[in-house]
Amino acid sequence: MQRLKEFDREQVLRIIVLCQAIRLSGQDPFTVDVKEKLQILRELLPKWKLVEDLLLDSEALKELSEIVKLQGEWVRRRASRMFIDPFLIEAKLKLMDREQLARAFLKAWRPIISTEQLTFRRLKEAYDYWAALPPLSERKHELTTQAEFELKHLDIEELIKMRLLTKEEFEKALDELYEELLARSRGEAIDYWSFVVREGFEESAMRAYMVSFLVSQGRAELFIDPIQEVIYIKPAKAEEKKVGRSVVVAFNYDVWRRELERVKRERGSFS
Amino acid sequence: MSEEALARKLRKAAHLILFQHHRYPGAKGWELRKVVGKDYMKVIKLLKERLSELGLDIKIVSEEGENVESLSEMQLDKARFYIVSKHPLTLSEASLAGWRLDSLAVLAAAIAFIASRHGKAPKKEVEKMLSEKFPEWKVSMELDRFIKRGYLAEDEEGMVYLGWRTKAEVDLKALLENIAGGQVS
Repeated sequence: MQRLKEFDREQVLRIIVLCQAIRLSGQDPFTVDVKEKLQILRELLPKWKLVEDLLLDSEALKELSEIVKLQGEWVRRRASRMFIDPFLIEAKLKLMDREQLARAFLKAWRPIISTEQLTFRRLKEAYDYWAALPPLSERKHELTTQAEFELKHLDIEELIKMRLLTKEEFEKALDELYEELLARSRGEAIDYWSFVVREGFEESAMRAYMVSFLVSQGRAELFIDPIQEVIYIKPAKAEEKKVGRSVVVAFNYDVWRRELERVKRERGSFS
Repeated sequence: MSEEALARKLRKAAHLILFQHHRYPGAKGWELRKVVGKDYMKVIKLLKERLSELGLDIKIVSEEGENVESLSEMQLDKARFYIVSKHPLTLSEASLAGWRLDSLAVLAAAIAFIASRHGKAPKKEVEKMLSEKFPEWKVSMELDRFIKRGYLAEDEEGMVYLGWRTKAEVDLKALLENIAGGQVS
């Protein structure tokens, strides 16, 4: 009995899928025998007891009505002078070269002539903006300050190119920093900022930059405590060294000042 | 109506249709009635004659996108009036207007393909057909551009339709005839 019901449901589903496929692919809607499908639905209707079965039945009916609508459009189009066999058009499109296609289009094309204009409202907005804009002399300081503090990303190759350091120097500095991390942490996780931050901004930036290398080389690990928003750094043990992973830590002048004050405060409270 | 009043109405109608004041160019019938007056169709007829001397024409497209010659007053209210070129452009004129030969060819093939399939076709099929002649990156880029400019439209089910601009600018029957070589049933 259950099997029979499944078979009946499948029949309705098949009708729905068929109608949807025809509708979406733009194929000839007359390939669906609407009368036959309606007969099937009519025979099955007394068997449906559950709401979901009845809903399935109504969906199938809706899809069939869409097909009838498409059939109407199809007939109207075929009867009109616009009808040209789509396969003929496709074949011709394949045969024609670019210039022939362009010329065929130009013969049937009458482009719209229009011009964009400035409306009174836009003009007023522009005037208001201009009236509220401070003179350049007042904005100059603001503009140059912005330009001075524009953040730039320099990689190791660029630093070497700028002769700010050599590869050997950088490797040596990295080893020293790693040794320092080992000594300070004794293998445990320590506060990242207290390790990185120094009295000078440049030195701190350089240490943060080198730490990122230690992390990407797998010689150190960063952890972020999502609740307290504290970043920890820990040296990776020799046997645990693995491929580095990326952790994004923002560093700029404001961050440095804030963290330096915090680190100083914490050191003061310990001493 | 005095000659001066007529000249004023002609100017108003020409400005309303020519200057884009909405997202779409042209003007609706009710806008013309509001600005020009009840007898706006007489003014449009006169404007059509004047524009004809300049190689321009006025095209009236119904709300459904059909280019019909006789519309009822109510249909005219909802129809959109455009100023269009009266004569076909030459290749060099189209090039001067910023159209590349490739772009025109892609547009011609896409419109003809969709028009021959009752005005809609799956985007994948259109792309497949165009990819036989043009590189895939170009096909994708051009189709997106034509959708943005209103020549084509697409829905969430991945079907591509003829856009409002195609209905206003392109004589589909002539295009299909040109491509099929005059074999129209």
